[in-house]
Amino acid sequence: MSLATLTTSGPVTTLTLNRADARNALSIDLLRDLHGAIDTLAAAAAAPNAPHVLVVTGAGKAFCAGMDLKAVLGNNDLALELLTSLAKLTVKVRMLPMVSVAKVNGAAIGGGCGLSCVCDLAITHADAKLGYPEVDLGVCPAVVAPWLVRKVGAGRARKILLIGGLMSGREAHACGMVDVLCESASDLDTKADEIVKRLATGGPQALAATKKLLNELDGSLDESIVLKGAKLSASVLATPDAQQRLRAKLGA
Amino acid sequence: MIRTQAHGDVWEISLARAEKRNALTPEMLASLKQAILAAPNSGKALLLSGEGAVFCAGFDLSLCKESPEGEVMRSLLIGLHACVTVLCELDIPVVIAAQGAAIAGGCAVLGGGDVIVTNADAKLGYPVARLGVSPAVSAPFLANLAGVGAARVRQLENGLIDGRTALACGLAHECLDRAEDVHPRALDLARQLAAKPASALAATKRWLREIAPITSADDGLHASLSLVGGEEERRMLPFAWNTSR
Repeated sequence: MSLATLTTSGPVTTLTLNRADARNALSIDLLRDLHGAIDTLAAAAAAPNAPHVLVVTGAGKAFCAGMDLKAVLGNNDLALELLTSLAKLTVKVRMLPMVSVAKVNGAAIGGGCGLSCVCDLAITHADAKLGYPEVDLGVCPAVVAPWLVRKVGAGRARKILLIGGLMSGREAHACGMVDVLCESASDLDTKADEIVKRLATGGPQALAATKKLLNELDGSLDESIVLKGAKLSASVLATPDAQQRLRAKLGA
Repeated sequence: MIRTQAHGDVWEISLARAEKRNALTPEMLASLKQAILAAPNSGKALLLSGEGAVFCAGFDLSLCKESPEGEVMRSLLIGLHACVTVLCELDIPVVIAAQGAAIAGGCAVLGGGDVIVTNADAKLGYPVARLGVSPAVSAPFLANLAGVGAARVRQLENGLIDGRTALACGLAHECLDRAEDVHPRALDLARQLAAKPASALAATKRWLREIAPITSADDGLHASLSLVGGEEERRMLPFAWNTSR
């Protein structure tokens, strides 16, 4: 079974990260399946009556717990492959002509939080945990940084990435990392449906043209930045300091 | 008038001219720049603060009285630009405790901060066009800190905002109820930052400088300098010492 499931209902497609037992952590396999799903969506996008709203969410309690670093500890080539795969995926998601909504059902950490920021809109609940704890682990959040800068601006991004740790959904909403906030997790489905329904009333061509322009304005289509970020992130990850901290954290 | 002290891994630089609300002189800016350049570039966090009730009320404009040709104003602008530039180039995190007031040149310094703490009643902004002075010197840094839209409003609106508004527009990252809590909180944040892996922090700061660089910083300085000693400034600047502040 694919780790990334697509379900379509009328104008709305839902992409579910389907690795609940690992809190949807981004492994090489999950990223490969996500690439496959996004490629499928991109190929079908030109067809008449193709879906023009994409909802991205996670199976189980978490949205996405971030990069699955346990599997790449001590293997720098594999770590670079993983980070490069994420980097390419982020640009691919951004390039989709449909409007994307991150339905952050639970923890969105590191690369998972990056995935949320790549989407055009993000919705979560007050108790979800979001953030970028990379620096705490001696790692540099270089692949996700450009997306956070585009989402909240350079000043707030600097504060968020350097302070590290995690914040509540409420705090994420206050600093602009999340656009719509529900008071509790039980409201999330209803609220997300409401937003998605409204988005789906938009003309697909009008939305796609607007999104394309916004992508040009903020440099989203420049893949070289995130690829360079992947190399930087991998080089910091390869340092003995980072490896030691990750081993301690992951119990590996 | 600049004091440097170490609290363990936190390197604190304070504006120490509380009786003048830490109003900046050319000498203070020169010392501040030296103090920033002397800060360790790894394994620490920098805390920038102002002694007394307010962080910084801006330039000490009374000094401009004696130099109608604008020599003092010129050195203030050049000194400010240099200070914010060297702050932005640091690889260690910079926390700023901006209690009470961060006005004009004092607000410009916030552009060099990574984490800015203020309080609800604080007054922040660039009300200097009313004195015939252009705040453009700080526009490039402000645009990087809070976005170009917020920078435009703050620079042209010619007034002051409170701490909560500053938080909402990205000029500050934390807003506390009480001014006296600002310094302890900023010190606490600086300690937390200093305890994080230095190489990861430095790599992240350098990367952010690369992907979101400050642009047109020299143009900003020159825009401000171009008006110094001109007719409008000579006519309007005396308001600074003829009206009570």
